Amino acid sequence: MKPKRRVVTHGKGPGPAGGAGAAKPKRTPTVRTIRSAIVEPKGARGAQASVRPPVAAPSPIVALGSPTIAPLASGGRRAGVPAGFDPATVDLRVDLGRDLVLANPILVASGTFGYGVEYAEVVDVQRIGAICCKGTTLKARAGNRPPRVTETPGGMLNSIGLQNPGIDAVLERYATLWATWKVPVIVNVAGESIEDYVGVVRKLDLVPGVAGVELNISCPNVGKGGLQFAIDQDAAAAVTRAVRRATELPLIVKLSPNVADIRPIAAAIAEAGADALSAVNTLSGMALRADRTGPFLGNTYGGLSGPAIKPVALRIVYEVAQVVEIPVVAIGGVTGLDDVLDYLAAGAVAVQVGTAIFADPTLPVRLVDELAAECGRRGLASYRPLVGTALPRRPGPASARGVEYRP
Amino acid sequence: MQLVDAELLESRQILPGQWLQHYHAPVLAAATRAGQFVHVRTGDWSGLVLRRPFTVNTADSATGTLSIHFREVGRGTAWLTRMRPGDRLDMLGPLGQGFQVDARSRHLLLVAGGLGIADVRLLVDEAIRDGRQVVLLYGCRDASEVYPSSLLPDEVEYVVATDDGSVGHHGFVTDLVLDYEAWADQAFACGPLPMLRALAAVAAGRKGRLGVATLGRKRGAGRPVRMGSPEARRKAFLQVAMEQNMGCAVGACLGCVVWGVDGPQRVCREGPVFAADEIDWEATAGAGTHKR
Repeated sequence: MKPKRRVVTHGKGPGPAGGAGAAKPKRTPTVRTIRSAIVEPKGARGAQASVRPPVAAPSPIVALGSPTIAPLASGGRRAGVPAGFDPATVDLRVDLGRDLVLANPILVASGTFGYGVEYAEVVDVQRIGAICCKGTTLKARAGNRPPRVTETPGGMLNSIGLQNPGIDAVLERYATLWATWKVPVIVNVAGESIEDYVGVVRKLDLVPGVAGVELNISCPNVGKGGLQFAIDQDAAAAVTRAVRRATELPLIVKLSPNVADIRPIAAAIAEAGADALSAVNTLSGMALRADRTGPFLGNTYGGLSGPAIKPVALRIVYEVAQVVEIPVVAIGGVTGLDDVLDYLAAGAVAVQVGTAIFADPTLPVRLVDELAAECGRRGLASYRPLVGTALPRRPGPASARGVEYRP
Repeated sequence: MQLVDAELLESRQILPGQWLQHYHAPVLAAATRAGQFVHVRTGDWSGLVLRRPFTVNTADSATGTLSIHFREVGRGTAWLTRMRPGDRLDMLGPLGQGFQVDARSRHLLLVAGGLGIADVRLLVDEAIRDGRQVVLLYGCRDASEVYPSSLLPDEVEYVVATDDGSVGHHGFVTDLVLDYEAWADQAFACGPLPMLRALAAVAAGRKGRLGVATLGRKRGAGRPVRMGSPEARRKAFLQVAMEQNMGCAVGACLGCVVWGVDGPQRVCREGPVFAADEIDWEATAGAGTHKR
């Protein structure tokens, strides 16, 4: 064991010395290791190059592990960006594993951006970090009965029910187009059984235009295959492991907030071979008809998203970032730069914008610019020093310390 | 589809709780066709996370103005009513498929229930501009809600039905349809779901009941048209404008579906105007609306 690094077991092991997990000791991730998850992309890239053209100015690598945020540089006040600052020189690249290098850490969340073509008339989709497409299943699904969406204070409920034309139709309609795009498309995969997930993922492997897989094991709006994988660490690990065996694509697993303690589940998924985690999917909720004669949504229950869930998502990102070493992508109520900075500070290396797109389709692209400008304001050559600043410096074993959730 | 910053020119309450607002938005005014809608963003400080869809009520490309007509039903619409001339509003539009009028149709029957008038209002203007004859049947609860005839062009024949009989026909607006059904070449409707369903039943039985003759061989006869295509909708007797709670309004979120005979149809993309025979009326029934 290396000095200054603590051993923590994942899974059900009672302590550092016991349990099956002790066979494979893991480092407790610290700010240092989480930052190192955002690695410098390796020079050459494959067909789906998503790296922006080499920046003119050599981007000096900020010393990884430097515990302090770079102070406001003498010339760079909060008020403005230093003169002569070019946002294009800020290094916003992020590696989500297996060479899935995004040009910037602003993604669009699954289900809010369709297949990337719907908003193309009003948004420059090529400037987004990555697009997570609508949840896709092996066979076509008609989805839930309407009405499917409604607004709630500070958020919205949806119960689409994974309506999609099936993986074959999706690839036939969009994959050729995706392959011509600079922006990577991450296919969100859903299913009712492990075989379903594997079946879809097999079809995605080696398809040009598919940059990665986001495993949706946390949809609250479908009867089967929704939450059953996300709430149980063994099931979550099993489906992750099966998919991992089926594909070489970068694999992101989307966590559900509808669990008592996310940490063992996140750890089990990371152990099972996921390249990154995204947190969180929607919270289960409901709304009533105006005359209160019954539930409003055709499916009774819906998933709550929007600014209303940001504190919950922030808590989960904060917890997950402390128990896994793989990158964490935050999702939940991002409506502005402050939310992005919060999630980065809580340990996420990237964020997905979801519900806010409906009100402001240009928000993701604007956030990219604002993040670069914020880095310039702080005199940073990269956004990396912003990551994990709010995490405890020396976290103890995950099960003993950290934030306890008391509803 | 464009994001437009529209300036409010005029806002007035034309009926109790119903507002008519005129905006300066030249791009939208020129591009919008009858039946299409705009997706409006309320202010950031309103605390609301979704846009509101409104059918374009009138559009005048000469002056670059368009109007929306809405009822104050929730926080979003209440926020809109408090806007003052000169205030700006973020609009996304024009969106959706509008009404499809066959070039040969001379007689158009428009049926509106309550606020449904907002959806067919622009079609009145377009039809009269194109030299067609228009009958507008309008149904509402009582005299206080009757859409002012001063807001309609002189050329339109305007017939009113009220539920309590205080003005015009005593009964449902669908009762009046039978008088005009044989005269009309095409019918267009918007209103409450029961009204649309009743009209769809009338339209479905129309051919057998009236024995509508198709004289001579029509252009393209016998060629199959795909259900839901503009051609198919033009050939349908009845087109209906559907309503549903909306998320993105561009087809991305799949939130605003109504159930069609071929499965779920997005109101924002395939609609809001559908041919009546595309909709599965049994499956669509019973959906309540939520305060917006």
